[in-house]
Amino acid sequence: MATVPAMTSPAPAVAPSGSLGDHRGSPIPNGAMIATRFMELRKRRGLMIALIVVNIGIPSLFLVVRLLAHAFDPKSYGPAGGYSIYTGLVAGVMYVFGFIVAATLGCSAGSVDLSEGMFRHLVVTGRSRLALYLARIPAGLAIVVPLVAVGFTIVCAVCCFAAPTKISYNGTNVPAGLSRLGLENWAAGHPDEVICNFGIALSPSTPNASEIASVLNSATCNNGPGSSGPVVSGPGSTGAKPTQAEVRAVAILIARQNYSGYTSQFLSPSDSLMIKSGLWLELEALIGLIVGLGLASLLGQRTVSVILMIVLEVILTPIFSRARIPYMLNLQRAVVGVATAHLAPGGISVFGGGGGGAGANNGNPLLIPESTTVAVCVIIAWLVVWTALGAWRMMTRDA
Amino acid sequence: MNAVALPDVSHRQAAQSQWAVETHGLTKRFGANVAVDGVELLVPRGCAFGYLGPNGAGKTTLIRVLLGLTHADAGTMSLLGYAVPRHRDVALARVGAIVDEPRFHGHLTGRQNLQILAAAREREARDRIGPALGRVGLTHRADDKVSKYSMGMRQRLGVAACLIGDPQLLILDEPMNGLDPAGMAEMRDMILSLVAEGRTVVLSSHLLDEVERTCDAVAIVDRGKIIRQGAISELLAGASLALQVECSEPDRARALIDASGIPAHIEVGTLGLGISLPGGTPREVVAEINRILVTEGISVYRLQEIQASLEAWFLQVTSRLGAT
Repeated sequence: MATVPAMTSPAPAVAPSGSLGDHRGSPIPNGAMIATRFMELRKRRGLMIALIVVNIGIPSLFLVVRLLAHAFDPKSYGPAGGYSIYTGLVAGVMYVFGFIVAATLGCSAGSVDLSEGMFRHLVVTGRSRLALYLARIPAGLAIVVPLVAVGFTIVCAVCCFAAPTKISYNGTNVPAGLSRLGLENWAAGHPDEVICNFGIALSPSTPNASEIASVLNSATCNNGPGSSGPVVSGPGSTGAKPTQAEVRAVAILIARQNYSGYTSQFLSPSDSLMIKSGLWLELEALIGLIVGLGLASLLGQRTVSVILMIVLEVILTPIFSRARIPYMLNLQRAVVGVATAHLAPGGISVFGGGGGGAGANNGNPLLIPESTTVAVCVIIAWLVVWTALGAWRMMTRDA
Repeated sequence: MNAVALPDVSHRQAAQSQWAVETHGLTKRFGANVAVDGVELLVPRGCAFGYLGPNGAGKTTLIRVLLGLTHADAGTMSLLGYAVPRHRDVALARVGAIVDEPRFHGHLTGRQNLQILAAAREREARDRIGPALGRVGLTHRADDKVSKYSMGMRQRLGVAACLIGDPQLLILDEPMNGLDPAGMAEMRDMILSLVAEGRTVVLSSHLLDEVERTCDAVAIVDRGKIIRQGAISELLAGASLALQVECSEPDRARALIDASGIPAHIEVGTLGLGISLPGGTPREVVAEINRILVTEGISVYRLQEIQASLEAWFLQVTSRLGAT
């Protein structure tokens, strides 16, 4: 039974003191929502410390140790920075850790309102649930982008300012930036090092091949255990002991043959490479944040989401990047980590592959083949689909 | 739905509605369990309205449906005259609510939590944070982390969260939980002051005494259905009439009353007779009982009418339902 309460005449409604024209149903979050969401994430001290340690602390510690080691024993330990250290840190550390850091933050942003009971307070404000979801993306980016940038800047700074002054080419210290003639002149001054370390390919058609082979065979190298002669491939020869002029001539020939290899060696990363690498790392962080946000919103919990994201990045992506599984190549190409690996700048080789460079595999012969267009489409699809899934769950979830 | 996109006529119609909450045939199921079963609820504007029911009766579920925290399976509803969920954003713009235990981000201060909620409301809400904290007596602890708050302080913060929206309608689910007696008195005074300002307060509580002291009208819900609703004074007028009679020879007195044909339920206790008369019994019957006893030579030392309480009435109504 339901009877209407017999009340006195209804009281007049309280005149709203605020404006109702605040676009409360709009899916676009306002600046205050983004700012307070940023504050909420930034104030998570434990999370922030963990993110800083992983993304800034670990690379910094590695570089500090190298700096100290080189400072105390420069003969045993090379310079802390340099091109090879840079590519190794960017591809092996910053790339993976940046993703994990961003994913962890995204998972937190996507689940804490629900787990800490704030979600229903927010829903009761009447604000669009989509706007509540979307406010988390710029807020998270406002944390992740600077975090990645700081870590990356430290790596760049050390790799540039603590770069070696000489190129180590096949174990031989060679001055950087030499022209072809300069390298030949340097080789003429250091014939034994060049003959023993640079390597030369001889063929029967090589002019004066027998004289060259004679010089090579007469050289006494000290390349370590098991090595007693120069690096040479092709026909050998025996003969009388060569003159000093012959030795220098052979060294110049070897230097000429190695010049292209020499020019591909860098003391430190170029400005162009650093800019591209930085943008590439930020892209990876963006993907980690948005996928983590969507996944956590979908599942409603942080821990499982973080574990799944780490499994994706650390286990599944390397496997799918390198293993050519029959009938599954297209599925492998659809993994976002594989796609971002293909977008790595030339010189940055992800997942332990070979050198960089342009090409279908980005110069990395270990990666499964994938075109740049497909890689871009895969990344966009991941961003859109996970945002849609997370937003859909947030809009339909019981608060 | 954008708030400003509503036609003016919708705003006018909403403002003219005399009901703060209006539901018709509202139903919510969880599998085979019907938590809210065809509820017809009418809450007048500008009053304190109690919403009572035993545990598991469906009180919180109805509140969650009203606030859009979960979806209704059937029925219609409106808040402040605006149909929801169609005009949910406009309706909720002037609604404040505490549902279940108020929980907040523990690593943030009370003020920061309110800033998050104010950001989702209109711009003016940010200016109301300070006054709202002051009104619930949390100003001195506003910059402490919520993880250090007691349950009662979190309740107060929940009320402050409601107030930053300058609500015309407040829906408070067990707001007295965790409050000490002084806090309960303050909360009661605050609810009354909110009503005095012309706001509507829907109070869901198991503290019947508090509801009786605070509310003008109540609805009683049991097993998902509203079984009674109306002004408290009218509902209690229909409650059974209880008498306490101290007299000599109580057993003989009981027999005499039984023999008189008066429809009374009589119990003999240490204090005398406890007599319960059906609701609506004329007061002349009380005088008749006294006359019978005196006429038959029984000394009547005291005859007292026991004022029906909301609690007694609640137990009476819900137990009767349980018996069926």
